Amino acid sequence: MGSLTAVVIYAAAVYSGQTSVGIVPIAIGLSIAGVWGSYYGSDKLVLTMTGARIIDHDTAPQLFNLVQELTLAAGLPMPKVAIVEDDAPNAFATGRDPQHAVIAFTTGILKVMDRDQLQGVAAHELAHVANRDTLVSAVAATTAGAIALLSDLVLRITFWTGGNRRDNDNGGNPIAMIAAIVALILAPIAAMLLRAAVSRNREALADATAVAFTRNPAGLRRALEELAADNTVVQQKSNAVAHIWIESPLDSTTTSKLFSTHPPLAERIATLKAMEGMGPTNNE
Amino acid sequence: MPTLLIVLVLAALVGFFVVSIYNNLQKLNVNVHEGFSQIEVQLQRRADLIPNLVETVKGYAAHESATFEKVVQARAQATAAQGVQAVAEADGQLTQALRGLLMVSEAYPDLKASENFRALQEELSSTENKISFARQYYNDNVRRLNQAIVTFPSNLFVGMAKVTKADFYEVTDPGKRDAPNVSF
Repeated sequence: MGSLTAVVIYAAAVYSGQTSVGIVPIAIGLSIAGVWGSYYGSDKLVLTMTGARIIDHDTAPQLFNLVQELTLAAGLPMPKVAIVEDDAPNAFATGRDPQHAVIAFTTGILKVMDRDQLQGVAAHELAHVANRDTLVSAVAATTAGAIALLSDLVLRITFWTGGNRRDNDNGGNPIAMIAAIVALILAPIAAMLLRAAVSRNREALADATAVAFTRNPAGLRRALEELAADNTVVQQKSNAVAHIWIESPLDSTTTSKLFSTHPPLAERIATLKAMEGMGPTNNE
Repeated sequence: MPTLLIVLVLAALVGFFVVSIYNNLQKLNVNVHEGFSQIEVQLQRRADLIPNLVETVKGYAAHESATFEKVVQARAQATAAQGVQAVAEADGQLTQALRGLLMVSEAYPDLKASENFRALQEELSSTENKISFARQYYNDNVRRLNQAIVTFPSNLFVGMAKVTKADFYEVTDPGKRDAPNVSF
């Protein structure tokens, strides 16, 4: 991502001369302010956006116990546990650090899954907390955002001021100019692709970490199979929070694989099946 | 002058290396102790649940006194145990006694239907899970510590860090380790 930012900055400099360099800190500053604000307050923000309601031991003892059991396996502090009123089975984790983590489940997932499956799902979400994935995706989003914003600003400014520049002949090499335009147009797309790739990578890692917690790949595997068989999707189709759910809430037929924030469920199930084949991983 | 600089840089590097190994050994040691205290917390939680459970079952199955006796005895032993191996053994005994108690309760439909008993059962089976996860966390950390103690280069700093190998939390009969079977 860093090199992509550098390419955009370079392209901007080539394309519009000295004037545009001043935009760089503005674009990066805007992007950082936006994403890091939402990163810092992610626990509260996401709860408001999804309408999740925090529960305690007395309101849902089984779910609460299940999460508490896993915190012992992970050696993490107890996160807040929340329930989202939604018939689609899904779950997510958020929060800037393990001390401010929230793990949420939809009412749908609590209805369709047994204890082993729920344990697998809770372990996957807790794995996101343990791997600091809110931070990772905030970094990815900041960079992707800065690149997109920067390219957009440069293209707009040169569109308005382009006229004068044609008169004075210091524009320089026309090939470099064309390359710069192409780079400015393609960079945001490349940034989006990278961001999605980072997210897919973290999902696969969370599956593996979850198995390290539970030592039971079958639970998570059966949970993912349940999700694959289910075709209801979470009501909120907002792209902004798509990456936080365990199963992508966006319809898989309309989103291409390259831009998808999650690896295909079939791939994840196959990986977990392979882990089951490795036999007991309990080395005690 | 350049030689002095090189010597200084090398010394700094070696210092950094030693500090990081020392800190790592201490960190592993702390993790092991924290892991064991987590096991003890959960064992204590289970011990606290037992009187309540025994009272509830007694209300429906007063004449099963032999089973109650076994549970109460195993509980007393478990609360008195000291040291990793003794605690692990007492834990195994108590788990087995509890399994007997829950098996007895199978024969009493009224008991099984009681709200109080079901809540206790959920708490008990969750605590069993917590014990086994705490044990897993503890044993993982013991393995890391013991590995660091015997492998190079960290083995050179064991005396300086004053850490010793820790015992694994093992229950000798694997059958004893099975949590009481509770269905939801």
